[in-house]
Amino acid sequence: MESASIAAHGHVDDHHHGPPEAHQSARIDRTILGILLFILSEVMLFGAFFAAYFFLRVVAEPSSWPPEGVELPVLIAGINTCILVSSSFTIHYALEAIKHNNHRGLKLGLTTTWLLGATFLFIQINEYIHIGFTPRDGAFGSIFFSLTGLHGAHVFVGLLLLTFANIRAYRGHFGPEQKDHLGVEVPGIYWHFVDIMWIIVFLAVYII
Amino acid sequence: MAAAIRQPGWYRGALGALLGAAFGFGLVVALRAISGLDVFQTEQTGYPHVIVPLITTPFGFLFGFGAFDYWFRWAAGKPTVPEDHSGHGATKWQDYFRFNTDHKVIGTQYVVTTLFFFLIGGLLALLMRAELAQPGDQIVAANTFNGLFSTHAVVMIFLFIIPVFAGLANYVLPLMIGAPDMAFPRLNALSFWLLPMAGIIFLASFLAPGGSFDAGWTGYAPLSTGAPLGQSFFNIGVQFAGASSIATALNFLVTIITMRAPGMNLWRMPLLVWANLSTSLLVVGATPFIAGAQFMVFFDRILGMNFFNFLQGGDVISYQHIFWFYSHPAVYIMMLPGFGIISEIISTHARKPVFGYRLMALALIGIVVLSYSVWAHHMFVAGMFSWLRVPIMITTMLIAVPTGIKVFSWLGTLFYGKIHTYSTAMLFALAFIVTFTIGGISGVMLGMIPIDIHVSDTYFVVAHIHFVLFGGSVFTIFAGIYHWFPKMTGRMYDERLGRVHFWGTVVGTWFTFIPMHWIGMDGMPRRVADYATQYGDWNLLISVSAFVLGAVQLVFLYNMIVSWRFGPKAGDNPWRANSIEWLVSSPPPVFNFDEIPRVVGGPYEYGTPGARHAIMGGEDEGAEVPKTKPSTVAAPS
Repeated sequence: MESASIAAHGHVDDHHHGPPEAHQSARIDRTILGILLFILSEVMLFGAFFAAYFFLRVVAEPSSWPPEGVELPVLIAGINTCILVSSSFTIHYALEAIKHNNHRGLKLGLTTTWLLGATFLFIQINEYIHIGFTPRDGAFGSIFFSLTGLHGAHVFVGLLLLTFANIRAYRGHFGPEQKDHLGVEVPGIYWHFVDIMWIIVFLAVYII
Repeated sequence: MAAAIRQPGWYRGALGALLGAAFGFGLVVALRAISGLDVFQTEQTGYPHVIVPLITTPFGFLFGFGAFDYWFRWAAGKPTVPEDHSGHGATKWQDYFRFNTDHKVIGTQYVVTTLFFFLIGGLLALLMRAELAQPGDQIVAANTFNGLFSTHAVVMIFLFIIPVFAGLANYVLPLMIGAPDMAFPRLNALSFWLLPMAGIIFLASFLAPGGSFDAGWTGYAPLSTGAPLGQSFFNIGVQFAGASSIATALNFLVTIITMRAPGMNLWRMPLLVWANLSTSLLVVGATPFIAGAQFMVFFDRILGMNFFNFLQGGDVISYQHIFWFYSHPAVYIMMLPGFGIISEIISTHARKPVFGYRLMALALIGIVVLSYSVWAHHMFVAGMFSWLRVPIMITTMLIAVPTGIKVFSWLGTLFYGKIHTYSTAMLFALAFIVTFTIGGISGVMLGMIPIDIHVSDTYFVVAHIHFVLFGGSVFTIFAGIYHWFPKMTGRMYDERLGRVHFWGTVVGTWFTFIPMHWIGMDGMPRRVADYATQYGDWNLLISVSAFVLGAVQLVFLYNMIVSWRFGPKAGDNPWRANSIEWLVSSPPPVFNFDEIPRVVGGPYEYGTPGARHAIMGGEDEGAEVPKTKPSTVAAPS
């Protein structure tokens, strides 16, 4: 009996059978826990830049913030915020749809989310071009472009993940069981994080 | 050849690296052409033609090497290939040079790679000691010296101590909790392969015009924002090492939380598992801060941003705050896994349950929480907010409490134990308690503002960190390697050579680092190639001892290499330990278990007759399972 489990020195033969199924010692799915922990580390990365923001705005005591003559396009950024926030609802719709085996709803939701995200990024790049200052213009320029740019990079990564999900959705790969739609759920969690992070960035940089 | 290039592996990796370099270079040329700049920069400031390929080449290599093949197939919407386990396990030595997803292979890869970098970091240190043997300039110029101590620290921290713990845990942790592998085996392999990339980038900085990065491992702004090209190698290399660290930590957390064997509740986890759980929490939470700090320096250097440029509204001190918000937790990242190793070894070789097991676990969590609140004790003389000094001094004193609990618990475990010292691992564990306590006490001294102001930037600080990192972390690493060597290789090391290594290392450590306390108190500044003649005698002694210490490590390497090949066969459980990794063969089977074991008791029930920690699959189901309660009362074994 012991020989079966213990005296397995012949490594070549072992390739025939796979590993035993791991015991599931927590209710949460591994991939979902993984993405949540990854998001925790992402939050801390934003935290580093928010710390820098705090130092530049509060500790360094600039005479005015934003500097004289700089007018941030709050209205456009506000509209952009609405676009991004609404995309959180569409991805949630997509996930709910596939949970009820509604493939048409899944495709509709994912595609809409992708388009909304792409629109957000497009508007933001436009904003960069017309904003009238560059990353080299003082500490304000540095932190403005770093925070919004770091967020933009995350939108880009989110869009990539959504692209993969879209490809699979249109090939009909997902199903109502949780293990069959992790490919929608996990990018969805990431996308919600990107949205919530934008609200914080927007409030810190544009509003207060 | 064409077939070899299509297969993931070294040929395709080399091709990928070339393409990556070409892509990075081309990208810079194209972007400069579009934005109307000179395509080739003659007046070099940021060296974009070097920097961008430096980032793209490692990725090109990893693409070619096969790190992303599976994910690409997934992303493209192709049906994922059912796992055939062809990338898992090692049957020949070449398998250690592949993108292998077996946690045991990855663990071995980690340990061997990091020991290689340990050797390099040690040689850099010896070069410094050679220069410092006498006052005056002898061997290296002052600038090179700055590069030496910076690279020495970076290589030792990011490529030896942090990853070697990840490697040891990678090997034994899934076995210990009864899991067939880590939660994300491909991510695990990627974490490993990011590491040599970081190492090569750090060492390649010696080839950069202006020499390697020389602003210290701390890379304080604005010294680093104005430094030559080598500093950018540091900024980029840290991102690779940091990403590797975060991905491994995430993997450990998910593995520990979701893949424990049935019956292994939190209070039955071995302390090594607890230690890696806490370390991983620190890595996931803190490492992004050094990534952020280095991004900011990088942006200041390359893109002309002004995070740390005072004239443009930047804030210089903010660098230190953000940097130390990672780098103080980092010292616990370098220490907590060692605590776990020591607990395993002490309990096994004293044949007694760990004294105060639950408190040991809670002390780890206490350290995790407190370590986020002590970062500014590195900045008492930096000119930071004066109101922050005293609170930070208090938290620094506080964090000595959970650490003290651990030290006393080890002593409590040893108390009235049947202490066996036939293993070099146990010798190192015992020596660790002594040296680490001394390093800890000088740490408490440094936490006191008046003393810190007196000895800031002197050799006292150097003495302290080497007592905790060499006398602390590295001793635990040696202990761990000796302890699990029979498990990893299936063979025994030479105990006689182990003893030579042990005594040489202990004596070398003490003679090298104890005198540094004294010359530090006297005011000898650190990080300087030349010094006042009054310190000459002590420095000569330090240098001689350092060379002895270095030479003794060769005995260790010889012992490891020769024993791995020719050592006598080790049994499955040479130390008569209880935890699960000792219940499988040495080395363990490719998939660890045929059937997941069942955990029926605590891991340290030494001395309780008939107590078991786990029952292996395939054992008689009717086997008597004695009722075990965690007990701190030891019966003679």
